Amino acid sequence: MKKFRLLTLVLIVAMLVPVSTGLTSAQEKVKLVYWSMWNETEPQARVIQSWIADFEAANPNIDIEATWNGRQNQTLVRTALSAGQQIDLVDQDADPLAGGLVQEGMAYPLNEFLEEKALDEDVPIREVFTPGTLELFAVDGQIYLWPYIYNTSQFWYNKNAFAEADAEPPKTWEDFLSVCQKLLDAGYAPIAAESDIQFYQIDYLTYQIVRYKGVGFLRQTIEDKTGEMWRDPVYLQAAQNMRELWDRGCIPPETKGYLWPAGQQTLGVGVSAMELVGSWLPIELAPIVEGSFEWGAFNFPEMPGGVGKQGDLMVYLLSFMIVKNTEHPREAFEFLRFIMTKENMQKMADEALVGVTRLGVQWAEAIQDGATAAANATAVFGMADGSVAQYSEFVNNILYVNWSKLFLDELTPEEFVEKMATDAAEYWKGK
Amino acid sequence: MRARKRLIITFLFPATFLYLVFFLYPAIRAFYYSFFDWSGFSYEAKFIGLDNYRELIRDDLFIESLKNTLTIVFVGGVIVFGLAFALTILLNSGIKGRKLFRAIIFLPNVVAVIALTTMWSVAIYHPRFGILKNGLAYLGFESLSRTLWTSPENIFESMLAAIIWMNVGFYVVLLMAGIDKIPHELYEAARIDGANELQMFYRITVPLLWDVITVGIVLWSISALKIFEFPFAFSALEPSPNTYTIAVYLYVMGFGQRTPIYRLGYATAMGVALVLTVVVVVVVLRRVLRREVIQY
Repeated sequence: MKKFRLLTLVLIVAMLVPVSTGLTSAQEKVKLVYWSMWNETEPQARVIQSWIADFEAANPNIDIEATWNGRQNQTLVRTALSAGQQIDLVDQDADPLAGGLVQEGMAYPLNEFLEEKALDEDVPIREVFTPGTLELFAVDGQIYLWPYIYNTSQFWYNKNAFAEADAEPPKTWEDFLSVCQKLLDAGYAPIAAESDIQFYQIDYLTYQIVRYKGVGFLRQTIEDKTGEMWRDPVYLQAAQNMRELWDRGCIPPETKGYLWPAGQQTLGVGVSAMELVGSWLPIELAPIVEGSFEWGAFNFPEMPGGVGKQGDLMVYLLSFMIVKNTEHPREAFEFLRFIMTKENMQKMADEALVGVTRLGVQWAEAIQDGATAAANATAVFGMADGSVAQYSEFVNNILYVNWSKLFLDELTPEEFVEKMATDAAEYWKGK
Repeated sequence: MRARKRLIITFLFPATFLYLVFFLYPAIRAFYYSFFDWSGFSYEAKFIGLDNYRELIRDDLFIESLKNTLTIVFVGGVIVFGLAFALTILLNSGIKGRKLFRAIIFLPNVVAVIALTTMWSVAIYHPRFGILKNGLAYLGFESLSRTLWTSPENIFESMLAAIIWMNVGFYVVLLMAGIDKIPHELYEAARIDGANELQMFYRITVPLLWDVITVGIVLWSISALKIFEFPFAFSALEPSPNTYTIAVYLYVMGFGQRTPIYRLGYATAMGVALVLTVVVVVVVLRRVLRREVIQY
């Protein structure tokens, strides 16, 4: 009898063990902590919230706790991480992220994950990204950023104004000047610009140098510790071209007083006809443009004798990043793999009206020309030829400041070149 | 006696403890980190001695920020107090609706700074649709109406005007509160003796208000030296280097705006320089403004 009782007890325990361990594993949920660059009510945040809800439903053992920090996200992440707080996933503009958390060695390497299959597709996940986007901020071949929103830097223009002026999107600098003249003749202020946004103004220099000398030359110049590369005639030429746009009236004089968004508003209300800016512009101006307003975009024109192609495109990517010290890199990757499905990316494109990095997704009608430029890009590069990520202080305190002074007629082209050469030498001497 | 001491210590402890933990300790740590090259992403920091301070002296943007800050303190201060006195005299001259006018003048102090900066940069200074442009044109000042108030050469002065407008109300209220405490008999006696309004102002109001004026000037100096929100928000997307103050430049260098500079050690050195500037300015002002207090 005793033996029978003992046997019964052993059997009961044996039966209960798997049940109890099963219960334990079901209760042991993984919590992913995600800190976001979006404010909770922004359209992009709404889409991410729906991604999270769908992902959690499909993966009941994973909970994602999101914190909506807004644009100062990386700064807050920095403080939290140094205080030992758990954060597994963050997102931000790719350039600052590359120059911040990635440069500080706080990002999880993604190369191995990127070889895995895309969700419900028989291709490696890296192949669903628009070419060039994943590799843009790679460090020694290692990828740390997961770009998901794709903004193009182009001339965004009012198609009706161009039609009225009998102007076509220009291919060369000469064409561009001719388009400006046609728009002037038709009564438009051809180019809208802001006096206070230096990271918009610098695109005129970046694109000119990329078109004249190819991708990477501006960056090499910044890296030149003697500062002498700034005396290359291309910089004087680029500065003179910039001033020529003002002198010809392509950029109206009152632009010197436009504080964002005053300049772009002139485009929205039909006073000006185009602006060199990111593909977020049509969305920003949506509340003020009339129903008949038709958006177009063209790439920065080719420069005479330059080696760069018109298809070389500057991009502003928004990226996710898995934090290096996460205890759950696999789960974080599963979420990122989940958001890259065509359906999920289409949702972002449709509801937030932004470009996305996934191939084969239809962008909103207003930014169709951006989608075309992204699909046909012959090369892509980041802000200030990718220098913002690596040489942020130089770019912010020397390049932006001096170019802005040239842009706003506080420096002559010759003074700009001289100032860059001396400031660069001084900067590197102090490093 | 011992019980009294114990009581004093008991009452002082909570505030002293909080002050030590949340102010003094971080301040000392900040001073310590100003000698390091430190990004703030981890506790890894490289000791560089006085290099951050040496760099400050060579840094054109810091010098420009310091110049802007001191201009706000001194030029802005003179105008703020000049206007505050003028409005105080006006409001005390027996005009009707004194309280209403005082409330209107004080109003900017209770409105969010971002709303005020938007109002000034968009509604007032806009080169095409601004009230200033259209108002001046309407009044026939065609040439003046074409001024670009927010162009690089004018933006700092335009911002300073807005800062002055925003702050005058507070000092009007402060001065009026002081004036209200001055016995009316003094003015009546002066009137009987044949004093005019200006004489009464210089001989009665100013001397008897001196302690209020001193406090007001010190308050203004401290708040103007560390001014951040208004210059930061005046150009909405990113602060213009033409309007950098020390606090704004500190933020740009330490906390990354669009560009991820993240030089927290250098920014901390700037913070230390700012604190030293505040101390120097306040000590000098206290000495300059020191006078015998008149009891009444």
